[in-house]
Amino acid sequence: MNGSGAEPLLTVEHVTKSFGGVQAMRDGSFDLKRGEVVAIVGGNGAGKSTLAKIVSGAHVPDSGRICIKGVEVSRADHSVSHMQACGIEVVYQDLALVPNMTAPYNLFLGRIPRKWGLFVDEKKMRKKTREVLEQLNVTTVQDLSQPISSMSGGQQQSIAIGRAIAWGSDIVILDEPTAALGPNETAEVERLVEDVRDQHGTSFILISHNLDQVRRLADRIIVTHHGVTSREFKRDEITSDRLVKAITLGE
Amino acid sequence: MSDTATAQPFLTPERVEKLRDYVPFIAIALVILMFWAISGDRFMSVRNWTFIAQQTPVLLLLAFAQLMIVTTGSIDISIGSSLAFSAFLGALGMLWFGDVGLILGILAGGFVGMVNGCIISLLKIPSFVTTLAMLIIVRALVIIMSDGTSIYITADSGASGGNISSVAAPWLLSMGKFPAIFIIAAIVAFGMWVFYEKTVFGQQLRAVGGNEKVLRLVGINVTTFKIKVFAAAGLMVGLAACVNLARAGAATPQAGMMMELDAIAAVALGGTPLTGGYGSVVKTIIGALTLTIVRNGLTIAGVPPSWSQVALGLLLIAAIAISLNRSKIEVVK
Repeated sequence: MNGSGAEPLLTVEHVTKSFGGVQAMRDGSFDLKRGEVVAIVGGNGAGKSTLAKIVSGAHVPDSGRICIKGVEVSRADHSVSHMQACGIEVVYQDLALVPNMTAPYNLFLGRIPRKWGLFVDEKKMRKKTREVLEQLNVTTVQDLSQPISSMSGGQQQSIAIGRAIAWGSDIVILDEPTAALGPNETAEVERLVEDVRDQHGTSFILISHNLDQVRRLADRIIVTHHGVTSREFKRDEITSDRLVKAITLGE
Repeated sequence: MSDTATAQPFLTPERVEKLRDYVPFIAIALVILMFWAISGDRFMSVRNWTFIAQQTPVLLLLAFAQLMIVTTGSIDISIGSSLAFSAFLGALGMLWFGDVGLILGILAGGFVGMVNGCIISLLKIPSFVTTLAMLIIVRALVIIMSDGTSIYITADSGASGGNISSVAAPWLLSMGKFPAIFIIAAIVAFGMWVFYEKTVFGQQLRAVGGNEKVLRLVGINVTTFKIKVFAAAGLMVGLAACVNLARAGAATPQAGMMMELDAIAAVALGGTPLTGGYGSVVKTIIGALTLTIVRNGLTIAGVPPSWSQVALGLLLIAAIAISLNRSKIEVVK
């Protein structure tokens, strides 16, 4: 789309997706470069979540092309585990964590290290958890044997983001990451996103209703309207009014 | 969460929370003291405790099966019928193949569990409904297969017809005696503790009970996992059936009736919430023991069986009322 700089990490070209008779995504295209935060905004039902789920592998597109680091993802390969293997992770809005389990368990969700094939390698889990929390500069999580339901929403979301980047992901999809959080916790999470981007060069796809947050975090903003990625703006060239107009009217 | 090193009133909220963890232990201690006070040496005798140690293993194994399932947030009320089915097939197996035929009994339990798991996971029918149907179906199957008669295990070689005798019988009957049955239960209990607390499978039980949706999101196959859980619990029921066969010396069509409720009660008395996500093997052992002791103690104290059932029901409600922090509960279903 805008061909400046290096080759994009991710390109999505003209993807479509229908559910029954409803065409949730009619024409979705965007790209993402290394270390970039791209926001996808749009009204309810505009297709932003569908687009995110196509990228995360949860939905297989009906048509269109997705390339990661120049390699096309075939429709047969299109799955969550394949996208994970390609370095794409998702942080969900409703804190996709297991509340009754500890921080290390949640960090290692789906990747629990084993001892002798059967047992949980708790030592390894704790060590890695401390490393990740340190990297993220999260000092508030101390007791690793507590279930995470005893932590604040911000701490929990930090662990969710920690999980997304702990495994060397290049692209993290943030699906309404602060919708469930208060202002202080929102600020904490936003700081985390910026830190991670600066330190690791991780790219983010931010899905958000919060336009102030979008303008704080995103380098580029993609507007979806009626299932089409209709407009794209750079951060500095957009005003709130302009953005609202694009979202509501598609212009 | 917090240090208890503060010089606050003795019962701080944190301490009350911690105390709740110990309710099953306090309850069993109180129950023992109470019956000791009421019945004295008739209760606190080696003979009676031997009896209790004999009574507990079958219930304990069933409670372990239930614990696995309850931890994932499901429930299995078919395990009583499954026990009768497994005992019957175990006995038949011994008739057909001799000693090794007993394995058929264990596998039968695993099979019933697997069928439960498949119906629940693949057809997405709630576990309560599925296992209620299986409770009825499996019990009926046992009655059809057995034609309403029992298979007896006798040590004398002159037995005939549907009765098992000869080589297999004596060791099985000797297994049903006190030390052996207790040792079996102790070994299984230790194995269960390791399995539940230390393995990836055990952790996953809790995680599924905590937030199944998330596990699916990160690519864990919860559908096959649940089938495995029900099958593993079924194998445990099959093992309980074999222990019951050894103890009772017969496979009867009525075996295990209402035992599913005892197993759930034992799990609940052990402080495990039936909503899933949490659980403890040690406390389930305590729960099973408490249930057995109360029943035994009430009998010794001369309470009629029906009234002792009433007492057990009240105990169950009291135990849950105390061990759950109900102030945090907003919705009760």
